[in-house]
Amino acid sequence: MKRLFQIEWLKLKHYRPFWVLTGLYALLVTLICAGVHFFFIFLKNQGADFRGVDPTIIPFYDFPDIWQNITYIATFFKIFLAFIVIITTANELINKTLRQNIIDGMGKKGWIQSKLLLIGGLSLAATLLLFFVGLISGLLLSHPHGYPHILASTSFLFAYFLEVFTFLTFALFLILLVRRSGLVIVGLMMYTFAFEPFLGVMLMFPPNEFNFPSYTYDLAQLMPIRALNNLIHVPYQKYAFREIQDFVSLKEVFIVCCWLSFYIGMSYLILKNRDL
Amino acid sequence: MTILSTQNLTKKYGKLTALNQLNFQIEKGMVFGLLGPNGSGKTTTLGMLLNVLTPTSGSFQWFGEPPSADSRKKIGAILETPCFYPYMTASQNLKVVAQIKNCGTQNIDPTLKTVGLYERRNDPFKTYSLGMKQRLAIGAALLANPPVLILDEPTNGLDPHGIVEIRELVIQIAQSGKTIIFASHLLDEVQKVCTDFMVLRKGQKLFQGNVKVALSDQRTVEVGASNLDNLQTVLSEFNGIRKLEHKDGKYQLTVAPEIQTADISQFLFDKKIVLNHLVEKEGSLEKQFLKILSEQ
Repeated sequence: MKRLFQIEWLKLKHYRPFWVLTGLYALLVTLICAGVHFFFIFLKNQGADFRGVDPTIIPFYDFPDIWQNITYIATFFKIFLAFIVIITTANELINKTLRQNIIDGMGKKGWIQSKLLLIGGLSLAATLLLFFVGLISGLLLSHPHGYPHILASTSFLFAYFLEVFTFLTFALFLILLVRRSGLVIVGLMMYTFAFEPFLGVMLMFPPNEFNFPSYTYDLAQLMPIRALNNLIHVPYQKYAFREIQDFVSLKEVFIVCCWLSFYIGMSYLILKNRDL
Repeated sequence: MTILSTQNLTKKYGKLTALNQLNFQIEKGMVFGLLGPNGSGKTTTLGMLLNVLTPTSGSFQWFGEPPSADSRKKIGAILETPCFYPYMTASQNLKVVAQIKNCGTQNIDPTLKTVGLYERRNDPFKTYSLGMKQRLAIGAALLANPPVLILDEPTNGLDPHGIVEIRELVIQIAQSGKTIIFASHLLDEVQKVCTDFMVLRKGQKLFQGNVKVALSDQRTVEVGASNLDNLQTVLSEFNGIRKLEHKDGKYQLTVAPEIQTADISQFLFDKKIVLNHLVEKEGSLEKQFLKILSEQ
């Protein structure tokens, strides 16, 4: 374990794009998650109001709601971490260093494990970063104080970890399958942000003339990106006094774990049967 | 001790059979030459032995055990082109290899000195010339001081000076009792280095044997004397001459392996013939190789 992690670390620590992308991710997440308060102030100065409500009084950073609020925002930036996985893995394929690693004495299983350790490390770092961003913003801006409030709903941090980990494993699976980093990056973005959301809307709210059976709504919840997004539901309608799902559902965790096992299993099978 | 054995090792790419039912064994201490024209299946064979190609059928064992990542840690190998992380220096690349092989980093600097890259050790791999890349690949293969070395065209891209250096390095390593598998199409090189060899063509094994034995078939002795007719008559009485050819005013004899040049000289001297020309010529693997290919 430790040795595999060290191998991965040796490969990455001198790779500039790795640091650029990691830095970009950290910067964006910190600025945007911590910057919502300043955005509200900006809105107020612009004279915006929500049905007579001053935006700065929206308790965005109140414990424990803060965890769902910021993890939800942060999930949009996981694509930058996926780029790291895609680019570094594609390099191993193009430079044939994957092949050389195997020749030198890594097992194919060990190689996948080392990539999963990289993914785990990235996901953990991203989660810790978000925890500190949330903790600091909350301590400064939250109205309720005290440990019970702070630590309630931290299950969203676990959900965030699982979401990032699974998404990056999905990226690993795709790059091993397709082998072209450009194609995978464009394809993954199109699929994540356009194709699957569109398909989801069509399945969940089909126009009447399509006459879809009623189970297509549930079917749509199983799609890879939809299943990931379901881990952390959109929290913001609560500020308009609508009901939201303010917990992490085990059923949705289970669906994601199924996808995760599928990606890991397939990545291994691809590598096992392919001539390198 | 048997280092490697294969049973009916076969690789097909669709209709093309790149390697067909290959059986062979390599014993400890052999310097084993793998010969064959381009596309004969040399690299395919080595690729399967190193688990980067999946055999269509057949099996093989390293050190008497089924192949595993741990058995590959005991093999230092270069296969085709040198593959390293281009943005990393020679030292950093060898650190990755050392970590994979689980062998510690103390050998990195000595190895870089051995292959003549110590001065450039802190430059990124991508700035290296082909010859330097090849040297680093050889260095990586040597790094863990493995009992078995696989060298696929190790002198590719090297200048004449580099070729001699690598050849001497291989001979030196072989003398330390290591087993070496050496794939090359440079027959002269194999002849100078190898103890045993195998010839492949179109995925078929044509020949396997000991280099000395194979070359003894090719050994010739040239003799000349003032009276050629008399020489021929006397020579025809000598047992052990397989072939007698007249060539440029001399006789070229192909002799049985057990016959020494001195035996011929002594025999002729006893028959009161004094030679004015006596040269022993070693056979060349090249001739033998072409002969094997043409016999099929």
